Amino acid sequence: MVYVNINGKDFEAAEGSNLLDVCENNGIHIPHLCHKKGLSPVGVCRLCLVKVSGMRGLVPACSTTVATGMQVITHDEEINDLRRLNLEMLLSEHEHNCLTCESNGRCELQNLVYEFGIDQVRFPINKEIKPLDDSSEVIVRDPNKCILCGRCVRACREIACKNILGFTDRGPALALGAGLNEPLGFTECASCGACLQACPTGALTEKHARFQGRNWEFNKVRTTCPHCGGGCQMELWTKDKKVVKVYGVEEENTENKGNLCVKGRFGLDFVQSPERLKKPLIKKNGKFEEAEWDEALNLVANKFQEIKNTHGPDTLAGIASSKSTNEECYLFQKFIRTCFGTNNIDFCTRLCHTPSAVALTRAFGGGAMTNSMGLLEHADVLLVAGLNLTEMYPVFASAMKKLVLSGNLKLIIIDPRRTETAEYADIWLSPRIGTDIVWINGMLHVILNEGLYDGEFIENRTQGFENLKEIVSKYTPARVEEISGIPEAKIIEAARLYGKASRGSILYGMGVTQHIHGTDNVGGLCNLALSTGNIGKSGTGLNTIAKQNNGQGAGDMGCLPPIYPGGQPVSNPAVQEKFEKAWGVNLSPKPGITEANMLLDENTIKGLYVMGGNPMRSGPNISRIQNVLENLDFMVVQDMFLTETAKIAHVVLPACSFAEKDGTFTNTARFIQRVRKAFDPIGESKPDWKIICDLSQKMGYAMSYGHPKDIMNEIASLTPPYAGISYRRLGKGGLRWPCPQKDHPGTRYLWAETFNTPSGKGMFSPADYQPPAESPDKEYPFILTTGKDLYHLHTGSYTRNSVALFNLSPEDVLEIHPSDADRVQVKDGEEIYVRSRRGSIKINTRVTDRVPEGTVFTTLHSENIAVNALTIDCLDPMAKTPELKLCAVKLEKPA
Amino acid sequence: MNIQNLKEIRDQYRPKIESRQDPRPLEKGDQRIINIMICRGSGCIASAGETSPYDAFANAIEKYDLKEKAELVRTGCHGLCEKGPIVVIQPGATLYTHVQASDVEEIVQQHIINKEFVERLLFYDPVKEKHISSINNIDFYTKQTRRILSNNGLIDPMQIEEYIANDGYFALAKTLEMEKTEVIEEVKKSGLRGRGGAGFPTGVKWEFAYNAKGDQKYMVCNADEGDPGAYMNRSELEGNPHAVLEGMAIGAYAIGATKGYIYVRAEYPLAVETLETAIEQARNYGLLGKNIMGTSFDFDIELFLGSGAFVCGEETALLASIEQKRGNPRPRPPFPAIEGLFGKPTVINNVGTLANLPLILQKGADWWSEIGTESTKGTKVFSLTGNINNSGLIEVAMGTSLGEIIFDIGGGIPNGKKFKAAQLGGPSGGCVPAKYLNLPIDYESLQGIGCIMGSGALVVLDEDACMVDTARFFLEFDADESCGQCVPCRRGLPLMTHILEKITEGNGEIKDLETLKDIATCMQKTSLCALGQTAASPTLSTIRHFREEYEAHIIEKRCPAGVCAALFKTTCRNACPINQDIPTYMTLAREGKLEEAYKVIKQTNPLPLVLGRVCHHPCEEKCDRRKLDEPLAIREVKRLVADYAYENNIEYQPPKRAQRKEKIAIVGSGPAGLAAAYDLSIEGFGVTVFEALPVAGGMLAVGIPEYRLPKKLLEHDIEQIRKMGVEIRLNTRIDNIDDLFARDYKAIFLAMGAHGERRMNIPGEKLGGVFWGTEFLKDLNSGQSVDLGKKVIVVGGGNSAFDCARVARRMGAEVTILYRREKHDMPAIPEDIEAAEKEGVHIDCLSIPVEIIGNGRVEKIRCRRMELEEFDASCRRIPCDLKDSEYIIQADSLIESIGQFPETEFLSVRTTRGGKLDVDSLSLATDREGVFGGGDAVTGPLTVVDAMAHGQRAACSIRRYLDGESLQAIPTRVDPEKYHVPFAPEEEEYEEKPRVRLKEADVSVRTSTFEETLKTYSKEEAMEEAGRCLRCDAGR
Repeated sequence: MVYVNINGKDFEAAEGSNLLDVCENNGIHIPHLCHKKGLSPVGVCRLCLVKVSGMRGLVPACSTTVATGMQVITHDEEINDLRRLNLEMLLSEHEHNCLTCESNGRCELQNLVYEFGIDQVRFPINKEIKPLDDSSEVIVRDPNKCILCGRCVRACREIACKNILGFTDRGPALALGAGLNEPLGFTECASCGACLQACPTGALTEKHARFQGRNWEFNKVRTTCPHCGGGCQMELWTKDKKVVKVYGVEEENTENKGNLCVKGRFGLDFVQSPERLKKPLIKKNGKFEEAEWDEALNLVANKFQEIKNTHGPDTLAGIASSKSTNEECYLFQKFIRTCFGTNNIDFCTRLCHTPSAVALTRAFGGGAMTNSMGLLEHADVLLVAGLNLTEMYPVFASAMKKLVLSGNLKLIIIDPRRTETAEYADIWLSPRIGTDIVWINGMLHVILNEGLYDGEFIENRTQGFENLKEIVSKYTPARVEEISGIPEAKIIEAARLYGKASRGSILYGMGVTQHIHGTDNVGGLCNLALSTGNIGKSGTGLNTIAKQNNGQGAGDMGCLPPIYPGGQPVSNPAVQEKFEKAWGVNLSPKPGITEANMLLDENTIKGLYVMGGNPMRSGPNISRIQNVLENLDFMVVQDMFLTETAKIAHVVLPACSFAEKDGTFTNTARFIQRVRKAFDPIGESKPDWKIICDLSQKMGYAMSYGHPKDIMNEIASLTPPYAGISYRRLGKGGLRWPCPQKDHPGTRYLWAETFNTPSGKGMFSPADYQPPAESPDKEYPFILTTGKDLYHLHTGSYTRNSVALFNLSPEDVLEIHPSDADRVQVKDGEEIYVRSRRGSIKINTRVTDRVPEGTVFTTLHSENIAVNALTIDCLDPMAKTPELKLCAVKLEKPA
Repeated sequence: MNIQNLKEIRDQYRPKIESRQDPRPLEKGDQRIINIMICRGSGCIASAGETSPYDAFANAIEKYDLKEKAELVRTGCHGLCEKGPIVVIQPGATLYTHVQASDVEEIVQQHIINKEFVERLLFYDPVKEKHISSINNIDFYTKQTRRILSNNGLIDPMQIEEYIANDGYFALAKTLEMEKTEVIEEVKKSGLRGRGGAGFPTGVKWEFAYNAKGDQKYMVCNADEGDPGAYMNRSELEGNPHAVLEGMAIGAYAIGATKGYIYVRAEYPLAVETLETAIEQARNYGLLGKNIMGTSFDFDIELFLGSGAFVCGEETALLASIEQKRGNPRPRPPFPAIEGLFGKPTVINNVGTLANLPLILQKGADWWSEIGTESTKGTKVFSLTGNINNSGLIEVAMGTSLGEIIFDIGGGIPNGKKFKAAQLGGPSGGCVPAKYLNLPIDYESLQGIGCIMGSGALVVLDEDACMVDTARFFLEFDADESCGQCVPCRRGLPLMTHILEKITEGNGEIKDLETLKDIATCMQKTSLCALGQTAASPTLSTIRHFREEYEAHIIEKRCPAGVCAALFKTTCRNACPINQDIPTYMTLAREGKLEEAYKVIKQTNPLPLVLGRVCHHPCEEKCDRRKLDEPLAIREVKRLVADYAYENNIEYQPPKRAQRKEKIAIVGSGPAGLAAAYDLSIEGFGVTVFEALPVAGGMLAVGIPEYRLPKKLLEHDIEQIRKMGVEIRLNTRIDNIDDLFARDYKAIFLAMGAHGERRMNIPGEKLGGVFWGTEFLKDLNSGQSVDLGKKVIVVGGGNSAFDCARVARRMGAEVTILYRREKHDMPAIPEDIEAAEKEGVHIDCLSIPVEIIGNGRVEKIRCRRMELEEFDASCRRIPCDLKDSEYIIQADSLIESIGQFPETEFLSVRTTRGGKLDVDSLSLATDREGVFGGGDAVTGPLTVVDAMAHGQRAACSIRRYLDGESLQAIPTRVDPEKYHVPFAPEEEEYEEKPRVRLKEADVSVRTSTFEETLKTYSKEEAMEEAGRCLRCDAGR
């Protein structure tokens, strides 16, 4: 602590804090424009100049570090006059037209000019009007309103880590430029909008928000982003049931600290998409007709009841969604278990991340990300496997890049493609797809061989090390090179880097899990963490990144066949009794079937209730799924849009968006945060929880909740990790489970003292390499792998309905290596057929050496390109997750 | 390399260096080895022709087989860049100037072989009026204190051995035996302050860096010299690079740095090449690199080439640039000494600072600080540029006055122009006006007058410089070079530039000066870095010291220096106090249309016959033709035109505007009164001129001798004015203004001149044969006879003194002019001085009479010699008594002509302390309503045309006064008739062509007659001369 005297009063401040923050924190307002919390101070606007004893002249408060004994004067006549003069000079730089300025009302320059009462500028005002740059899909640059404070430049460099924006020229000609001084839209701008959030004036504004409302006309609601699992906190600015602007919440206790990605900031207009379903639809004679709620719900209730009565409860099933709130997921599984009377409940994580849950539970006793995003700051080495961070979790990727650039974090990237993050990596390994366990075992081989393991940790906290030793001993670097294609030296290098880390952390994604041996892969990563003691401490751990906004929460809420909320097994009689008592019905002790079974196995179920899922795009081998679903007796889809899956349903129930309801999401790092209603549902759509309640009512099981907070109270009462959660406690921030009591602060990282396995020890679970289900051959010589791009998520059901996101990335393309392109004689941008043993698509190509030779890559969000028609439906035996990451294809040029 | 090796090298090369310092000139049969020292500085290279003198010498040495006898040495800059290419022949220190390859053979034959000087190439001293054969006698060198430049011109900078021979690197050797803190203490003790301009104590800076924690520290040399007109660092690096390397190594040792950078401008290729060689040689000798001189001290230096951004001279911007970032300054603290390059403690020192360190460490702080002022020790290198005779690189002791630098070392201002200001510190500095020529230069004294030492750019401005335009130039420079990130600098510069542009275009307002000051203050106080903090200094400084020039631009829409092109049509007309339309009458004259030319002249000039003879023609000083060959003889063409009209009875009275009923009284019929009468008459007023003397014309009639201005011509001009209706009442002395008002005069113009005679007040002034200059002339002019005797002494240096002297000469006397300063200080027109000397007038300078001795009449005069000391506001040195220098001369009479003063005590208007009328400078209004004053009565003796300008101005003010208009406005005088002479500039090549000379009678005739002896042009001559006019007004 240091003690400073400001304007004659003594104040206490944290060591190292800057004077401006100290003043602002103590209610002393100092005018400033170039400074913004979270950005490095540059002291260029010269408005925060103050007098400090012992320092010559005036010093900028923003770049002055407080020290004990400092005597500061923040306001006097001289300072005031100089501030005013500088403001006037700034005002004279352009003709600031506030009348139609998008920042009118939130402009910091305007505020200061008003504060200083400047009604006339004594200098001639520069009347030159420079053209707007509206080349970007989402951002408009108005150089006439730019005060050259550089906040956007620093935001781009320090928050987004992109360095797209910078200054050009100098002196009075100084200007803001993008890229190589080109229109913003021509640059590699990631459209994250960090710049415009940082902009104090109207120089950078949201393109699609232009003339959509003035700042005081908006309803402003803080909520949680509905796109990925990052859990970014944002403020929605809505008007007339439209989300017009979005700002990141700049608070320390958020995951994003004000940052957002293109989807969060510019991709929420799907909420007001004209494609939204506004009334229930009932398929009559093969065609949907709009219906009243009552009719639709009666029909649904009757049909499900009929099937239950005729074929038994286990012929019914429900697929929940990672997009719904915790409360809705909870109610959905409760509905399936009470009204249907079955445990046939699953959700889309089955298609991506269940191997994690299985492997982590096996190794540690719980299937969640062990650490949290912010704790990465304590790591010195980060290993990222099968995860394209910049496209998948841009906000987190930026934070990571910042750490890497600061020199405080070493980065190992393992990805067959040379992703953008690979450019930042100290070591980039590019294994052959499907050989993850090989390089993992190879690294372990080196770590054990070179004594880089943590013997004490292994001794005290693990079991099965001998077993591990035996298996990995076979994976010499030479053999690893032979199978995976990763050079020996690189494996050794990576193993040493991770092995020697004082805090090594592992992040992985679906590149690791979506394999028939995905569980083994994750198990291998667990072995890496356990053997080096990189678990149970901040800055370490095994961090699964859930793809969707509430992937973690849906699982927590028990939308899984064998467990109730909180991972409580349905087969445990005590648990069964607890839930029977709470819910007042008899419950089935028999674990249900998985989504894979529901979708791929004919004649297992007769009736299906899908809430928000879109397996017709996300599942493997779509034609097989279609066949199964079309043969169902009755299928209900509850969604915001008429998705590919909804189209084959019998009844479609219109759900409303996250902006129209209250609730909570649990992010990928177990962080439970509020979702808040911004406006009433559009059309006759309803929140999922209401629909479930209504339907339940119709099926004779009364569910009555006044508000989602009541549902959360019930969740807390039945779910030990959530026991301490309430809406009141979540307040503006959030809590990280486990939060077992009402006064528990939440848990930043897991397994600090003990593991949740039966023995309390971490379990090594070594595995040998198995070849993938389908390898390229003469007929199908290419490997197809899939991933995602920055602009789309889920199956595109949200993002395709966002104007900006759609325009930024309208269609999937097939990435192909130049030499492969030569081989099949296709040029960049040309269409090509991709055929597998299961299906065929036509797609445009992008020739790039980002993909390795022999492998083609594409994303899966186009409406008219069903990439998953190609993928294989072989499942991981334990997790039942399909091998979506790899299948054999051939490429054919259209005749 | 250890100290022993170093000594061996020194001993081996020392004789060679010593042989170059032998002052004894070469003599016939001299067997000493001759060193031909050829400057390889950028300036000398630039001024050499296609073949370099070096190559030419090499060839000549080959040709004459002189290899054994002469050695060619390439040296750093000798400093006297104006005279380059420079070659110095040693021994004997003979400096040859402007040596082209074609001169080399002559030098070799005559000097190297025959040991005789090549006179024409020797340095010429314009004051002493002779060639000087040894550097040791050239003021430019003798008045300097060359310490860090001592190796420049002495050694070959590309040979480290020669540097060592002159004790190079011994300071480093000594340093390495000292404790780090001892080194820092020594530097602190010396008082060395940063030579980059800010003057921060070097030792203190080092101490900060020494105490700062850091695993790595850096020593950075700032050689990003960017001030316009600055090339000290360049020459230091080109001429003596090892001193900088040694200084860096000393500093690095003291603060604990192991890595150094020299940030040098890429525009200095020669400096870069020299440095590269020097670093390589130092590394080879183990003076840089690992384990320097066998100690554990490691230090190496890397060159970093700056790309020419001026702001990168700012230390934090410089560091950012080395870090490969945009060269933007950042706020300090943290200071680089704590957090500098790559976040590590870093000392940044200027080239000049570093070059001093070897001296301090080797010779000790006490020796080093012997010279300088209380606050500022040592020497300072300046690059002296601009309007100065000896532009070049100089090094002077701190405390040397600016006057000494400019006039002694710099040799004064070329072309007889007046010194106006010295601009120090470039765009960050300010100007020093003439009144501070005696100021001893150090950091504090310069700050005290709103200027800074700066890095050492010293640009001399003469009277032709417009200070508003100068300020604008620096603002534009800064605006171009500002990084633009901070608001006050980015915005303040264009806003200030805009205001100055407005002013230079004649659209300024007086409140703009306040706005300028406001912005400037804001920039000074709130800019992020020194560039912005100091960018307004030239403006503030010029407003402070030359406010009247700003006001001339703003109020009168006039650029006195004739620079701001928007404010005038041609420089000649701009310079003319009465705004004569010179280009137009020149055009008419060249076409032979003399009558029309006469009319054009008469628009603004009521006394063309007079001015055609006695005008001091400021127009010609500004004539653009001067740049080609010689200025146009404007006055002489006018004289012919006026004479032509006179001889051909051509008369012209300009048309009057509507008749006015008001009557106006003018007191005095001198040029001011007559000009006022003329203009008021044109305005339609009734004008009465009251003249105390029996003749009209004031001093024109009584103070100018017949041979310069024949009476009949003056009378003719006055007659023309009378014909306008102006009444001139002679022998009418006005003692009471109230009487005039009582007689219904509505306004009064007081222009009674300065007829009081200043006296020396020395013993013997009452003796017979003692005369007062104007009285003497008056008496003669009014036909009285004066007995001068044979030997006449005239005291004074003004036009009047010369008139007296020349009259006396015509009266057959032997005449000596005594003048207390030097000839070039005389206020008289140079052509008059020249004419007088031709007529046999003897001029004795630096002398004053102290007693007139005689019995009833002058017999002898006791005189005293003077010596010149400090400068006064007129940039002339003040004469002081030289002790024990009295001498006696014989004389029959003595004419004191040392000035006149107005006699105004009888008037009931406010006067200044010297009895001059106290008038508003713009309107010429006195404190009494309706009463205006002008001419000599206001200013003391004025030139004729300046007095007439007063008359015109007063006329304008009186008209305004009577019309109830504000007097605080631009004096606008509209020509009575408009003459527009179409002029299509011909596609003619202007070739050099000297002016047509007036024919003048032989001296013997001149000294025997009072007739006008200077003959007017013939019509043809006038047409020819007028044809030389470049018509600068074409298209304007």
